[in-house]
Amino acid sequence: MPEGLLIEDLHLSVRAPASRPVLSGVGLSVAPGEFVALVGASGSGKTMTALAVLGLLPPQIQAGSGSISLGGTDLLRASGAELNRLRGGRIGMLYQQPKRMFNPRMTIGSHLAEPLKLHRGLRGRQAREQALGLLADAGFDDPARIARAYPHQLSGGMAQRAMLAVAMAGQPELLLADEPTSALDKVLERQILELIDNQRRRHGLGVLYITHDLATVSAFADRVVVMDAGCVQEEGPARTVLGAPRTACARELLEACALTRRRIAAAGEPGPSRDILALHGVTKRFAKGRGARPALDNVSLSLREGEILGVLGQSGSGKSTLARLLVDVEAPDRGSIARTLSRADGRNDDGGAGSGVPGTEVQLVFQEPHDAFDPRMKLFASLEAPLRRQRACTADERRDRIHQAVRDVELEPGMLDRYPSQCSGGQLQRLTIARALLLDPAVLICDEATSALDAVTQRKVLDLLLRLHRDRRLSLIMISHDMNVIRYMSHRVAVLYQGALVELAGTADFFANPQHRHSKELVAAARAHPTACAAPVACSDLAACAHRGSGRLGTTRLLELVTSPDS
Amino acid sequence: MMLFLARRTAALVVAVLLASFVVFLIPYVTPGDPVRKIIRSRVAGDAIDDSAVQALSAQLGLQDPLWTQYLRWLGRFASGDMGLSYTSRTPVADQVLPALWVTLSLVVMTLAVAALIAVILGIAAALNEGRAADKAITAVSQAFIAMPEYWLAPMLVLVFALELSVLPSAGWEGPTSAVLPVAVLALRPASHFTSAVREGMLDALGAEHVTAARGRGLSYFHTVRKHVIPNGLLPLTTLAAVWFAGLLGGSVIIEVIFAIPGMGRLLFDGVLNSDIPLAQGAVVVVVGLAVLLTTAADLVHGLLNPQVRLRHA
Repeated sequence: MPEGLLIEDLHLSVRAPASRPVLSGVGLSVAPGEFVALVGASGSGKTMTALAVLGLLPPQIQAGSGSISLGGTDLLRASGAELNRLRGGRIGMLYQQPKRMFNPRMTIGSHLAEPLKLHRGLRGRQAREQALGLLADAGFDDPARIARAYPHQLSGGMAQRAMLAVAMAGQPELLLADEPTSALDKVLERQILELIDNQRRRHGLGVLYITHDLATVSAFADRVVVMDAGCVQEEGPARTVLGAPRTACARELLEACALTRRRIAAAGEPGPSRDILALHGVTKRFAKGRGARPALDNVSLSLREGEILGVLGQSGSGKSTLARLLVDVEAPDRGSIARTLSRADGRNDDGGAGSGVPGTEVQLVFQEPHDAFDPRMKLFASLEAPLRRQRACTADERRDRIHQAVRDVELEPGMLDRYPSQCSGGQLQRLTIARALLLDPAVLICDEATSALDAVTQRKVLDLLLRLHRDRRLSLIMISHDMNVIRYMSHRVAVLYQGALVELAGTADFFANPQHRHSKELVAAARAHPTACAAPVACSDLAACAHRGSGRLGTTRLLELVTSPDS
Repeated sequence: MMLFLARRTAALVVAVLLASFVVFLIPYVTPGDPVRKIIRSRVAGDAIDDSAVQALSAQLGLQDPLWTQYLRWLGRFASGDMGLSYTSRTPVADQVLPALWVTLSLVVMTLAVAALIAVILGIAAALNEGRAADKAITAVSQAFIAMPEYWLAPMLVLVFALELSVLPSAGWEGPTSAVLPVAVLALRPASHFTSAVREGMLDALGAEHVTAARGRGLSYFHTVRKHVIPNGLLPLTTLAAVWFAGLLGGSVIIEVIFAIPGMGRLLFDGVLNSDIPLAQGAVVVVVGLAVLLTTAADLVHGLLNPQVRLRHA
């Protein structure tokens, strides 16, 4: 009897009338105790593969030929009752948005009780003890409190650890993890991966870890399977695939993870210039009452003309409050914000400044592209809305300007006929940028603008922003929790921690020699990922990185690969 | 939660006081001298002595400032003294309490019937989304929501009372007399509830945590029973409480058509006969109850939804 998960020549397609193939002949295997990374850009069919294993494909998708077996059990032909025993029993699952995967009405403890009762027949006191043990295994110091907590009381990282406890409750032999850390920052991501790896070693668990981020898994995976367009493109030991990728799609993925190579050439140093946005001692407080920490506390910061300023901070550090203050949707409680935005070079031609509308010089690009458009409006109407407020524009002029802006972000104007739901996240994020550009801003604030995108798309959007920065002399504020994005983009880095500005330094200085305790933690967490530490600006850290990287994954080879010019 | 409760209670008191003040002002803004109405209701004959009017005004304290009068009126009202009815010459409270009981039973029965129908049809529609059953249920509930009660009531009376003679056409004696009024009154809330349950169920069915529940090995029916239905029915609690408040006042037409001796009927008679104490008593009780129920609805919603409950903890 074959052990572990074996998928052979799996075909999935969208049911008629669309009848489009989703997977065409996917084959992969996960042996007991093996950590397999399934990597691919979004839309490559990774998630569908996992759902097919669980027998939970959406109704519009049907399985064609092929087979899936787990320890000899044929999963495609199993009965409903058999599948119910397998799900949560022999197969555990982790999801991308852990907080949405818990019933908001139920405590974490009651979620744990379900698989304990269904798959191990435990009830009452026994079940409770097991539940606490599982939560402790998932890295919680106070399992009893977590068991009583409701999902909305947990942070994203805590929710994912709780989900791991739920997934392990049925003592599975296979863990399917569908991008479980894509929504988390690097420190939490590392923590979750270590927990999963820990369970793998203790229980001989087979792990199929789905991700678009090669850097994430390189430290843990035994084997890597690269998927694109519903097919397995490349498959092999992690060392081989990461070190010497054979296919173009594997190379593209790898390149997207190494966000550091073209950085200097792309951005260049801003010349001597003046401050166009300046915050002086700005404090903003939302929560009232004793002991409430202000969202921003006495922050003084300036943006120079033509500069890309990176603002780094974890969730809750006040990054988004800063963005809201800068675009004037919130007013500071104390302190002042000076805006001297009229352009010094006084350009007034078509591609330049001079829309002359006050209040539009600073524009914002949001994190969730799907939330930034009215779902009931066609994209053209969404883009036209801000222009309509400027009376001087005729309908033809508006159309021309919109088409120009859309071409500027490397899209076809033809797609403006669509609704937001018919576009990918990357396309919509380009359109958000196009919409911001229509008002001809001097400053563009990108608030986690690429965090919701997969690595390949993220790379393309970042490069687009760099080009716009160069061509239009656009000043950018890149707000992110992602060290790689900040390093790739910024001239200077500002670090926010609990509402306070704790560090402000040039990018190279910052990554080579962070000063504040929190900055050191952030830089250290980023270094823990081999690709992340391979920045030209941080070459002095190579030895440290090689030392830290676990022997399992050919860290040094990877470093050579990403640091060598034009490999 | 305590703070939440205190805040809601304060809002409730303010609302009731505001309503009572408006009701208190009714005699001062309606045409005709209330004092003369009082005398006319107590003595036979048309001739009213001006000195008697003066004396009664003084005795009633009508020369005092308005707010003193209001506080006095409110104090008496709070202690259960709603004054004497002009028409029946009996204490208003004695008429309001039995009427309130009748109306409450009518409304509670109506809501129970409406909720029962809505839960069955709403769940059935949601689980068969897009199929014939769903389309039929949706279409029928859409049609009924727009059907006026004053048209439907006579139609049902025509069929069931006059043609078939299976149900009484009016009155409030025995269970059969409740069938037609409850049926008519329940139709619109049932339609409204059905679409609310259907929407709530569809939201709950589409929630990602339902997929996760299947992923833990729960069967489809187990998942629906434990994770979909309770979440999907949550909006119904608030909606039912809002309708409860609305029906207390909205049952006037039905009570008049079916000659049911409830609050609506009492209010209707009070207004028709310019019986100001009766109308005042009925309105304050109905308004007070409505405000109380709306607050109760918020509390119930808070208790059932941990995100609300713990936010105010």
